[in-house]
Amino acid sequence: MAEYKRSTLIADSPSGYCPGCLHSLATRLVSDVIEELGQGDNSLNVISVGCSALNILYWGGDFLSVAHGRAPAAATGIKRSNPERLVFAYQGDGDLAAIGLSEIMSAANRGENFTVIFANNQTYGMTGGQMAPTTLIGQKTTTTVYGRDPATTGYPMKMCELISTLEAPCYVARFALNSPKGVREARAGIKKAFELQLQGKGFTFVELLTNCPTNWKMTPLQTLDYMNTNTIPYFKPGVYKDTEVDK
Amino acid sequence: MKQSFVFSGSGGQGIMSAGITLAQAAIDMGKHATYLPEYGPEQRGGSAKCTVVISDESIVSPLPKLCDNLIVMNEQAYAKFVWDVKDGGILLMNSCRITDPEDLPEGATVISAPVDDLALEVGNAKAANIILIGILIGATDVVSEEAFRLSLNEKFKDKKPGILEMNLNALEKGIEIGKKYKK
Amino acid sequence: MGEKKFMKGNEAIAEAAVRGGCRFFAGYPITPQNEIPEYLSWRLPEVGGSYVQGESEIASVNMVYGAAAMGTRAMTSSSGPGISLKAEGISYLAAAMLPALIVNISRGGPGLGSIQPAQSDYLQATKALGHGGFHAMVFAPNSAQEAVDIVYDAWEYAERDRNPVLVLMDGCLGNIMEEVELPPMKELKDEDLPEWSLSRRNGRDYQGNITPIYTELILEGLNAAAGEMYKAWEEDDVKVEEFMTEDAEYVVVAYGIASRVAKEAIINLREQGFKVGMIRPITLFPFPKANIKNLDYSRVKGIIDIEMTIPAQMREDIELQVLGRCPVYEYGRSGGVLLDDEGVYEAIYEIVSGGEIDG
Repeated sequence: MAEYKRSTLIADSPSGYCPGCLHSLATRLVSDVIEELGQGDNSLNVISVGCSALNILYWGGDFLSVAHGRAPAAATGIKRSNPERLVFAYQGDGDLAAIGLSEIMSAANRGENFTVIFANNQTYGMTGGQMAPTTLIGQKTTTTVYGRDPATTGYPMKMCELISTLEAPCYVARFALNSPKGVREARAGIKKAFELQLQGKGFTFVELLTNCPTNWKMTPLQTLDYMNTNTIPYFKPGVYKDTEVDK
Repeated sequence: MKQSFVFSGSGGQGIMSAGITLAQAAIDMGKHATYLPEYGPEQRGGSAKCTVVISDESIVSPLPKLCDNLIVMNEQAYAKFVWDVKDGGILLMNSCRITDPEDLPEGATVISAPVDDLALEVGNAKAANIILIGILIGATDVVSEEAFRLSLNEKFKDKKPGILEMNLNALEKGIEIGKKYKK
Repeated sequence: MGEKKFMKGNEAIAEAAVRGGCRFFAGYPITPQNEIPEYLSWRLPEVGGSYVQGESEIASVNMVYGAAAMGTRAMTSSSGPGISLKAEGISYLAAAMLPALIVNISRGGPGLGSIQPAQSDYLQATKALGHGGFHAMVFAPNSAQEAVDIVYDAWEYAERDRNPVLVLMDGCLGNIMEEVELPPMKELKDEDLPEWSLSRRNGRDYQGNITPIYTELILEGLNAAAGEMYKAWEEDDVKVEEFMTEDAEYVVVAYGIASRVAKEAIINLREQGFKVGMIRPITLFPFPKANIKNLDYSRVKGIIDIEMTIPAQMREDIELQVLGRCPVYEYGRSGGVLLDDEGVYEAIYEIVSGGEIDG
C-alpha cells in the first residue's frame, strides 16, 4: 500500500475547511494528480470566491485569486498568454452556476484549453448556507427555510448536462466524492482532464459532488447518506462528453 | 491658408469617402488635415455628415460649425445645414435630390450640379464622391488637379481594369463644372 | 523617428498599444470605440499576441486581469456604459496590484446615453473607477498623436506603479482621422518579466501568487501605500499644457477635444485684444492643481471651465484651487451635441467682454 503523505502542493497550514467537508478531499485529489503528472511547478490554480477561496490559505503552488464567478475569464487571459502552463479554475456552485454562468458557458464554448474543477455542494457555504442554483428541491437553506420551492426558485441547474450540449468542450464528467469508488473515479477523471489539456485538446470540465455538513446541519456521515439518497439521483455521475471516445 | 468642408447627405451617397479622400489627398500634398465623421445608430441609410479641415499649418480645432465649403447631397441635409456656409463660401448642392431650394444664402457661391446623374453617366453611383471632389478642385485651390490624379492612379492601379478610368472620368466631369465657378 | 500615417484615433491607439508592447486584448463591442477591438483582432495575432472578444465587459476585464497576472501587457477598451460594467474588474486590478491599460472612448450619459461623443465620464474616471477608494492615473490626450504617445508609454506607468492606467478620450478623438507619427516597436524580453508575475518564462523557480484579498492590517498598509503613491503622482507625474496664461485675465480650463475648440477661440479672441489663456490638464488624475492654484489672482478675473458635458464635471476640482479668488464660469454642450468653434468663441466672448452669463 502506498504511503499517504501530504502533497507538496498543499502548504503546511490548516485548510480552513470545516471538519468533514469534501472540499479538502477535492483539492487533495487535484494536487495528487498534478504531482503525478509532474506538473507541480507548471500548474496554476485560478481560485474563485466562496469556500473555494480557502485555497488561498493552503494551496502551495502558483495561484491567482480572482473575482466572484470570473475564474474562467481570468483563466482565459492566463492560458492565452502562457499556453505552456497547466491552468485550472477551482469553482463552487454559486460562483460557477449563478454569478459566473456567463463566464463558464462562454469559456467552454470557446473551447479554451484549460480545466475547470467544479465543487458542487448545493449551497453558499462561506456566506452561511443560502440557496445555490444547485440546491435540491425541498432542501432547506437560510433563504429557503421551508425547502426550495420550484414555483419561485426554479430547479437545480445541471451544469454537466448544459456544458455537454456545447460543441467545443472535449471532456465533461461528474463524480460523487461520498464513496471510495467515487473518489477513485474522480481522481481518474481529473487526471484525464489534465492530460487532455496538456495535449492541447481543449476545454475540460470535472464536476465533483461534495457536501456541507455545517450548513446542511448534519454530521459528516449523515451528509454522505444524504448524497446517496438525494444528490446523486438528481445529479447523476458519469461522463457526459468525451470527444476522444465519442468520435 | 485654412479651409473647412462639411459633406452631408445620407448613408450610401459617398459622403464619408469623399471626406476621407479629400483629406488624404491634402496630406499627400504635404498639407495638414483632419476628418471627423458624425454617425447615427443606423448601419445603412441614416444621415451622414463629416467635417474636413485642411490647412498649411497644423490644425487646432477640427470642429468648425460654419464652413468654407458646404456640400449637401439631399433635401434633409440642405434643410439642416444650409445656414452653416460662411459668407463668401461655396454651397455645392446635388440638384438631383434638391430640386427646389428655398432661401439660398446670399453671400455664398452656389453650385448646383446633378451629381447623381453624372455618377451614373460615368458608370457607377459610387463615383459621386470623386465628382464632388472634382468640383471642389475646380472651384478652389484646395488640392492640385495633378496631385489628385496621381493619387487616384496610385489608389486604383491594382484594381479591375476600367475602375481607374471611371474615377478619372468622374474627376474630369467634376473639375469641368467647378472651373466655371473659380474666382 | 517613425512613419507618418493618416489614421483614425481609435486605430492609432490600437497600433500604439501594439508598439508599446500590448500582447493581450479582450473587449466587448460598443460605439464609439469599435475600431480598437476590430484593429487588434487581426493585428495582435501578427505579433504573437492574443485577442479575445469577451462575452461581456465584465468577462473582458477579468481576462485582462488574468493576462496581466502573467506579466503580459494587456488592455481593454470601452465607452461609459461598458466602463461601468468593468468597474468590478478595474477595482480588482488595483487590489491585486496588476498593471493594465483601460481606454474609455466616451459618449453621452448617463445610462445608455447617446452613441455620439461627450466628455461625460470625468467624475467616474477621476473619483471612483470602481469600489474601494482607489485611483488610476487618468490621461486625457487631445489629438490622435498625443493619444499614440500616451498609450505607447502607458504600461511604463502601469508597471512602475503596479496599478491600472486609464486613457480617457471622447468619441470625437476616437473617430477623428489625422496625421500621426508612429513610434518603433518596443522589444520586450521574457527575462525582463516582472518578478511578481505568475509567468515562469523569466526563470522563476519558487511559488508565486497574486490575490486581491488581504488580512486587515496588510490591507490597511496597502491602502496607506496607495495614498502615498497618489501623492507622489502629484509631485512627479502631472502633465499639463499652459497656453498664453502669462498675462491672461481670463483662464480657460479644458481637456481633450474641448481644449482644441477652446484654443481656436482663444487665438481668435487674442486677435481681438482679449487677454485669454488656457490651462489644459493632460493628466486628469493627478490633476494639475498647482497650475490653477498659483495663478496671479490680482490679474486673473475669471476661470472658464469648458467641457463637452453639462453640467461641467471638472468644476469642483478647479474651484478647490481657485478658493473663491475669482468667479468660475462654465460652458458646455452635452448629450452627444458637439462643441463647435463659433459656440465656444461666443461663450468666452460673452464672459470676457463683460456680458452676463451664469457663473
